[in-house]
Amino acid sequence: MLAFTVKRLFGVIPVLLVVSLMIFALMQAAPGDPVSMLVSDEASAEDRERIAAAWGLDQPAPVQYANFVKNAATGDFGTSFRYREPVMDLVLARLPASIELALYATLLAIAVGIPLGVLAAARPNSVFDTIGSIGGFFGISMPNFWLGILMILIFAGYLNILPSGGREPWGLDLPRITGFLTLDAVLQGRWDALVHALRYLALPTIVLGTAMTGIIMQITRASMLENLGEDYVMTARAKGLSNRVVLWRHAFRNALVSVITIIGLEFGALISGAIIVETVFSWPGIGLLLIQGITFRDFPLITGLVLIYTTLFVLLNVFIDILYTIVDPRIRMR
Amino acid sequence: MTRMPTLRCLASAALLFGASPAALAAEEMTQQRIAVAITETLAGHNPYGDAVVLIGSLWCKVYGCLMRYDFETGRPIPFLAESMEAEDELNWIVRLRPDWVRSNGDPVLAEDVVHSIDRVRNDPESTSGFIVQPIDTAEVVDDLTVRITTHEPTATLADNLTLLQITSKRLYDEHGQSVYRSHPIGAGPYRLSELSIGSHMVLERVDDHPMVAPSNPQQIMYRIMAEPEARVTALANGEVQIAQGIPPQLIDRIEQLPNARTEFANSVEMMFLAMNPATAPWDVKEARQAVAHAINREGIVRALLGDRATLLDGPVGEGQFGFDPDFKSPYGYDPERARELLESVDLVGVEIDFYTPVGRYTADRQIAEAMVPMLEEAGFSVNLRTPEWATLWSNVQTGGVPFYYMGRGQMLDPSRALRQYFETGGSPRLEFSDPELDALLQAERAAFDPDERYGLMRQAIAKLTEEVPAHFLWLHQMAWGVAETVEYTPRQADRVDGWDIHIRTAP
Repeated sequence: MLAFTVKRLFGVIPVLLVVSLMIFALMQAAPGDPVSMLVSDEASAEDRERIAAAWGLDQPAPVQYANFVKNAATGDFGTSFRYREPVMDLVLARLPASIELALYATLLAIAVGIPLGVLAAARPNSVFDTIGSIGGFFGISMPNFWLGILMILIFAGYLNILPSGGREPWGLDLPRITGFLTLDAVLQGRWDALVHALRYLALPTIVLGTAMTGIIMQITRASMLENLGEDYVMTARAKGLSNRVVLWRHAFRNALVSVITIIGLEFGALISGAIIVETVFSWPGIGLLLIQGITFRDFPLITGLVLIYTTLFVLLNVFIDILYTIVDPRIRMR
Repeated sequence: MTRMPTLRCLASAALLFGASPAALAAEEMTQQRIAVAITETLAGHNPYGDAVVLIGSLWCKVYGCLMRYDFETGRPIPFLAESMEAEDELNWIVRLRPDWVRSNGDPVLAEDVVHSIDRVRNDPESTSGFIVQPIDTAEVVDDLTVRITTHEPTATLADNLTLLQITSKRLYDEHGQSVYRSHPIGAGPYRLSELSIGSHMVLERVDDHPMVAPSNPQQIMYRIMAEPEARVTALANGEVQIAQGIPPQLIDRIEQLPNARTEFANSVEMMFLAMNPATAPWDVKEARQAVAHAINREGIVRALLGDRATLLDGPVGEGQFGFDPDFKSPYGYDPERARELLESVDLVGVEIDFYTPVGRYTADRQIAEAMVPMLEEAGFSVNLRTPEWATLWSNVQTGGVPFYYMGRGQMLDPSRALRQYFETGGSPRLEFSDPELDALLQAERAAFDPDERYGLMRQAIAKLTEEVPAHFLWLHQMAWGVAETVEYTPRQADRVDGWDIHIRTAP
């Protein structure tokens, strides 16, 4: 397993090189230049030249890319044009917020999507299955920004029981240990802070988790239906096992491989794809950072973030591959 | 048995999320604390590194600027300076207040002013070199006196210095570039308490500062909230007390709230249609005049802006330098005249590309879409172009965009803006050139007597309006949501100064 993991990790390097080249080329080809977005409305031509020189934007694109790769190899993704901070520092400061949100959204999706999928498969074409399927499609098709604003209006506006945005209340004063607010609150026994953190998490988690819930529900249902038609399920039933045992211990366990695959992929997508949710809820994560980077044509920030996303995604896939062997011992690494 | 704990958990969760009192978010707020929802992002700790006007004004509150605007008179007045006087056409003497100190007790010295001018000019992170562009040299006369020499007579220097934050030379020498993060110590009425890049900034009142009153909030959080619905909801449930940038469609919602109201302030950002005379057909004056006659500004303001805009007869409105209430633009809405003008130069049917930003200004795309049939009625054949803001803005700055809808802010004193857009060589944005207008603009910049300068500015505005390289449209009335617990009248220039905010005491 170690050899497999090491091999997979080395495989990340060419992927990162190709991705970085593509992103860099795309940013260079895109209209608009970062200097225009950095300077004041009143900037003179001299201001523009000075700033272009200060950020190396007056150099040819291949030189800029070579410098970027050289520095990135040492973990230095450069300094953000807009925020004048090292990209890595900006990302590390915000990554826990994005991961925490994605984790809770995933947990919500698993907690709701899997039972619904299993139960829908257990009673195919029943009213429950039909309602579940419609609900699943509803979750998948609901636009995040619309659902987010709707939730804000209902829960923060009319009912006024949850905050409209942000990650924590002003003056929470919770020292950071891991960067995950809920975990930090538990570690320090700050239950008041835990309640606050959960309240701020609630709406973005529901919005982000809704689509994933629909997907997990659909995949679980389809995978379960496939497995429920297999011979071993018939054998289990013939042995007189209860429907619950057949469903959860036999069919579900075998259906889990494809469910885990989709959970892994979706979790990666949640970390990288929470841009809209983070914007709507002013959630201080890397999705919001990316949209700000794109708005300001902040090349180092965009390239650095995309590379970090890519790395996370690949690592997640390696982790899922390892998880397969735990779920299904028949799968062996080669 | 096993179901009871589950039910208990559910009940606890319901209590956790649902049983909080109505104004949940107000829990963080006290009588002395307020939060302001803003739309722009915070770039970082370097006060010279943020091009956003509102953020620059926040840094003025922390460090103190040399001058500030008195919005009642529309003129710059001393802030950290005690006085600013012209010795002659090129030299200014700035005297600092002897009694205002930084929050660590350090005095504000002349060397700090010289240092700050140098940082704006030479700091690689500085985005605001234009502030000190007219300055040739700055020298220390004594501890509290600076002599500033300009390249050319610049009567508007005080206006530039309203944007110049005065940072400490001593602290910079000790800590280098990291000083802005490690020692953000200024002589302004608020001190920096917390800054989260791209998220929020917390300022804390300096209680013994001469510019603050006990009713000013002790702490102000400026919180970035990009989504207008979220800003309004946050205002409604007490999470924020002031919300910037309320779009017209949400004004009614605020006015129905029991705990908030809407306040309006004329923007100082002129909205205009720029017609680049270096490109056809805008090299023909009649074509530009036809555009000015073709646009039904009153109709657009009524239908799309809810009457929340002030029509312009020239580049400035009330409260801005050079405004003349008696001056009327010669280009009223007259579609027939517009067509006659186009016919007179044989340009009926001429194809034009019309560029507009999307989402940058209030109802920008809808406004541009409404203008298309008006222009077509006059005889233009219009292609509406809606590039993303970064693309359009970059192209406008580097020149070559023929015809576009745009705004220009920072125009309390319009001198710099008029030079930038309309003086020969001012910038590539418009490529307009008129020797007579150049002479008038140069003369007004060099006129130290305010009355003489006002007269010259009026002449320049009349000439500019008549030549119509741009058709001046309106100033938006910017809507702000303000909680009933707060006394606040928004200012013209996107500033939310702590000394302007007063917490209302309960009756």
